[in-house]
Amino acid sequence: MRRRGFSFESRVMDREVTGIGIGLRYDLAVELLERRPETVSWVEIHPENYVDRGGRYQEMLDLARRDWPVITHGLSTCLGAVEPFDAGYLAQLGDFLRELEIPWHSEHLCLGQAGDRFFHDLLPLPFTEEAATIASQRLAEVRDAIGAPLALENVSYYAPQGTNGLAEVDFVVEVLERADAKLLLDVNNIYVNSRNFDFDPKAYIDKIPRERVVQIHVAGHHVRDDGLRIDTHGQPVPDDVYDLLSYTLQKVGAVPVLLERDNNIPPLDELLSEVDTLWSIYRSATEVTRAG
Amino acid sequence: MLADTAKAMQRVCFDSEPSEADLELLGSRERWLVYRSLVRTRLVGVIEAALPRTKAAIGHESLGRIIDEWLSTGGPRTRYFRNVPNELANFAIPMWRDTAEPWIADLARYEITSWSVRHAPPNRISDAAFSFEVRPVVATAVAVLRLDHRVNETPTPEDGYERDPVILCIHRNQEHRASHLVLNPLAADLLEAWQRGDETVSESVHRVAATHDTQISPAFIEKLSTLITTFIHRGILLGGHAPPS
Ligand SMILES: [Fe+2]
Repeated sequence: MRRRGFSFESRVMDREVTGIGIGLRYDLAVELLERRPETVSWVEIHPENYVDRGGRYQEMLDLARRDWPVITHGLSTCLGAVEPFDAGYLAQLGDFLRELEIPWHSEHLCLGQAGDRFFHDLLPLPFTEEAATIASQRLAEVRDAIGAPLALENVSYYAPQGTNGLAEVDFVVEVLERADAKLLLDVNNIYVNSRNFDFDPKAYIDKIPRERVVQIHVAGHHVRDDGLRIDTHGQPVPDDVYDLLSYTLQKVGAVPVLLERDNNIPPLDELLSEVDTLWSIYRSATEVTRAG
Repeated sequence: MLADTAKAMQRVCFDSEPSEADLELLGSRERWLVYRSLVRTRLVGVIEAALPRTKAAIGHESLGRIIDEWLSTGGPRTRYFRNVPNELANFAIPMWRDTAEPWIADLARYEITSWSVRHAPPNRISDAAFSFEVRPVVATAVAVLRLDHRVNETPTPEDGYERDPVILCIHRNQEHRASHLVLNPLAADLLEAWQRGDETVSESVHRVAATHDTQISPAFIEKLSTLITTFIHRGILLGGHAPPS
């Protein structure tokens, strides 16, 4: 099932990012890059996994770029830290992203480091004025350094940060507006937070300024015995998240959707059947938008 | 202040025991212990992936204790997840050298060098073919490792390794995995000189041969050309740069 013919050529030539993408991960790369399924329209990578690295990762990226537009999603320039950015790394990131000709880059609205130490995980920011100021300034700083649009991503969190669950969306919107930024809307994160903090996820979506949304993430998550939901990206996308995606797409229109699967990676066919489900939701939701 | 909150998060995640005061400051004891566990589990996972034989040799608990001790110094300094095991290894290897069986530190060095080679940066470009007149260009994913124990020989013997020094060239192969070949001391010195790349091949061969009291005889030249062919064939030696005129 190698991709050939007109649709493939045109997709590569215009490098347009639409429809359904998949996260390029080491454990699924062999099969994905060999089969190059038609239904996958683009791939997303974490630049930290590729910057200054040769070997298999370099090869994976080269092979992926032959056929797919690539979007980048950062891990280590989180928007909430108080330390100045490492200028050397920002310059390196900028060079890397320019070479890839990305339409936008994204980064998490969270805290990823303290001092010169990295958590290698996404820790929550308090929904405060101070955090919104810092995050919006940092967002502008990264955006300037890379010379490309930068979208922030809403994260999942497990420890209460605000007065109620919907305080989060007010915080996200505040940062978006202050920085005049784009949004990578993670629908699974909203769903996870809504279950952990007991709010209506559709009310969250309703508060999002739709014109800022450039990309959507969906994923599965883990439900612990005590009911706490953890954003593991290690399970299939649950029906509730598909429903929320459909609701979101009807609001924001035909925004590209990424299936995130980072752990517990199944055979490619299982992921492709999730991709098919995403396509049908994407098509019907965006048809409704167009008709409406 | 966000800075104080961040410091409290750091202590909760990385201290040997999170303090009740920090947990209270952050607000939810039980949920912050969830974060502590998530953060640590990820880091332990990548370290165990990099050092599987070391872990098997010293045991899960012993490795866990040294990871705890390393984390309590504040957490990883690297933004690159792939380099987390290197930071742990830099901390742990001197300790293993002092406290563990003598071959354990060698095994950890061998494993972390293989890991580093696998994830090393892309190669530099050479602008000339390899010859005795050029400054050689060696692949980035190459390391010379001097060991007192032949820990590259598997499986690990039940009673561990006897002292038996060996020099390895560890490099990234065509399949992007770490592979090794055994070098004699002269070949190892030559390869290290070629990695530095500040002499022509001819200069380095003369200097290193002299250091080893070795005549540049026809037999030596024959062995040298076999070595060079092997290095080129394995992608260790990429070519050269013409020396500045
Ligand atoms: Fe996401």
